[in-house]
Amino acid sequence: MPGEVPTVTADQAILKSALVRAKAAVQAGDHAGAFATLRPCITPDSDFVDQARVAKALSAVDLHVLGCRSVRIALVAASTLDHFAGVLRFWLADAGFAADIFINPFDTIAAAVLDSGSALHRWQPDIVWLFSTYRDADLEVSADTAPEAIAGAVAGAVAARQALWHSLQKGMGCLVIDNSADIPADDPFGNLAGAAPWGRRTLLRRYNAELAAAAGPGVALFDLDHVASLWGKRRWEDARYWFHSRHAFALDASGTVAHSAARLIAGARGLSKKCLVLDLDNTLWGGVIGDDGIAGIKLGSGAEGEAFVAFQRTIKSLQQRGVILAVCSKNDPEIAKSVFRDHPDSVLRLEDFAVFTANWDNKADNIRDIAGALNIGLDAIVFVDDNPLERDIVARKLPEVAVVDLPDDPAEYVAALGRCGWFEMIALSAEDRERSRFYAEHAGRTAVRSNFTDMDAYLASLEMTAIVGPADAFNLPRMSQLIGKSNQFHLTGTRYGEAELASIAARPDWFVRHVRLSDRFGDSGLIACLVLHREHATLHVDTWVMSCRVLGRGVEEFIANEIRSIALAQGCHQLAGRYVRSAKNGLVADLYERLGFAPADETTKTWILELDRAAPGWKTRVKAVSATGEMLYA
Amino acid sequence: MPDREQVIQKLTGIFQDTFDDPGLELFDAMTAADIDDWDSLQHIVLVLAIERRFAVKLNPAEVGKLANVGKMIDLLQAKTAAKA
Repeated sequence: MPGEVPTVTADQAILKSALVRAKAAVQAGDHAGAFATLRPCITPDSDFVDQARVAKALSAVDLHVLGCRSVRIALVAASTLDHFAGVLRFWLADAGFAADIFINPFDTIAAAVLDSGSALHRWQPDIVWLFSTYRDADLEVSADTAPEAIAGAVAGAVAARQALWHSLQKGMGCLVIDNSADIPADDPFGNLAGAAPWGRRTLLRRYNAELAAAAGPGVALFDLDHVASLWGKRRWEDARYWFHSRHAFALDASGTVAHSAARLIAGARGLSKKCLVLDLDNTLWGGVIGDDGIAGIKLGSGAEGEAFVAFQRTIKSLQQRGVILAVCSKNDPEIAKSVFRDHPDSVLRLEDFAVFTANWDNKADNIRDIAGALNIGLDAIVFVDDNPLERDIVARKLPEVAVVDLPDDPAEYVAALGRCGWFEMIALSAEDRERSRFYAEHAGRTAVRSNFTDMDAYLASLEMTAIVGPADAFNLPRMSQLIGKSNQFHLTGTRYGEAELASIAARPDWFVRHVRLSDRFGDSGLIACLVLHREHATLHVDTWVMSCRVLGRGVEEFIANEIRSIALAQGCHQLAGRYVRSAKNGLVADLYERLGFAPADETTKTWILELDRAAPGWKTRVKAVSATGEMLYA
Repeated sequence: MPDREQVIQKLTGIFQDTFDDPGLELFDAMTAADIDDWDSLQHIVLVLAIERRFAVKLNPAEVGKLANVGKMIDLLQAKTAAKA
């Protein structure tokens, strides 16, 4: 009943005026202005009426103009999702996507998935979201069922989902998202439903656990049960709308579901954030270090001190799973650093930060410098500051930066950072865990470089070695991730999911390679990925992405040599590469020119290089080694 | 019993916002056929917006069966009267 549910209703006068302004902006061709007007109108908690109105207004905005990335998502369900598509599109725009959404005809799942000629297959989605609910898990057993039969029922229900996943992956090579079962709040057996081995809640919990274990590469589990819990189980189902029109969850929960899913999709498509930029005073501890001193700041003891320790612990966990930390504080650097060095209760230590910026300059400029030092985009940064004024300046000057709306009470910081969901990912790779170390090593190389005046001598001193390998099961997730998230060093803008990449690698005349790089400072991990295609005597470079971390170290030349040797081994006479301009890949606009390719076709943006078998190849200081470390050639 | 005019005034605002038409005026014989945008999705938005603005609970099926806007006004008048 309206008024009973704690969903948020916007001030209708403010909302109405924003909708009018957004409409005017669209008519004036100012799509960025329209989006900036609409974006703050709703939060994930806003009720459905507000979500629907803002989503409808957004449908007139050209998101491609804003540099949003295209993504095609098909919703496949045994429930009604027509109302949800617009809201999902809004929250995907918030995460950086211009989404096309296809709604599969109601309750035709098996036919759509299994028939390769179905409208779903023909639409060629990047992502198929099997929006299942507990109703889709066929799990009813009687109270006298034997334990083995219960296990069999759960395994059977999971196998039924897996069959759908496999069929989709085989047919389309798309990312598949499936939902955990939203365990219902009410059950005639009450407590026993979750206590007895045959109870419905027990079964669904087992089903959810096994479903999560079954979801491997190319399948992401969306934890719908968790989202339902966040929103509130008692109001999650609205029976009126289930019976009336097969809406599987309360309409007012649409924003929460769409927001969570959009963050997951951002993680899957390489648009999750990479770096957390943190203020210090009253953000990581209570008080002002410059005034209160080490002994005076609130950190460790007392309710407030404990809250800051808890917040630091959360940030430390993020760092350990691969989020880069940076400080941006108005402070004296030595005094500020002393907390992380000397305070016994500081969970965060100085070495946890890749960049430490403490000065009196404005924070927008500082954040721009931090992005530069780390070689990441502003759109990969999340900014946390207790001071609303600083947040406002950064939000205005750097609209690409995500700014966390930090509450006044430090006890609520952890929840506020968690709720924004900026660091979602579909899997955790070894590189994710080691990323912070890469950035520390990067800082070491920069320090050494300043001692060299001769670039070649510097590169030689790095003692770089590279391993080139195929799209094997171990590297596939990371390769797909790199292709998904690379923007600057990405020549053609292709995006391949894991399953799609695997199917390409299996085709004759296609070559998929990854490159790992090490030097005397450490292992940079998987830094480049290639998709090559032979057509007659020409080897085409379909995809060439490279991590910007290793730019300017002769790795491009090394990779060009790899492409060349594959071409020669295949009996090709020429290489063909394309440069498809995007908003972010200006960096490689002249790559083929630098490598000696000649412009061949303006319309297809193709560059050609005739191969000379006798020529020595490109000069590089990177040496190839085999996976066991044995030198292949100099 | 609340004034019928008051109900009409509130409801007109909701219709104008839902169908994004500030000039929209209601009449008793009006049906979904009179408004281009009035599809099953906007019907739900409309019902929820009415629930919210009038602070009543409506069943979407029940509202769908109403013959026209006039009947909707009658229903809201009765529901708000029952509450008061």
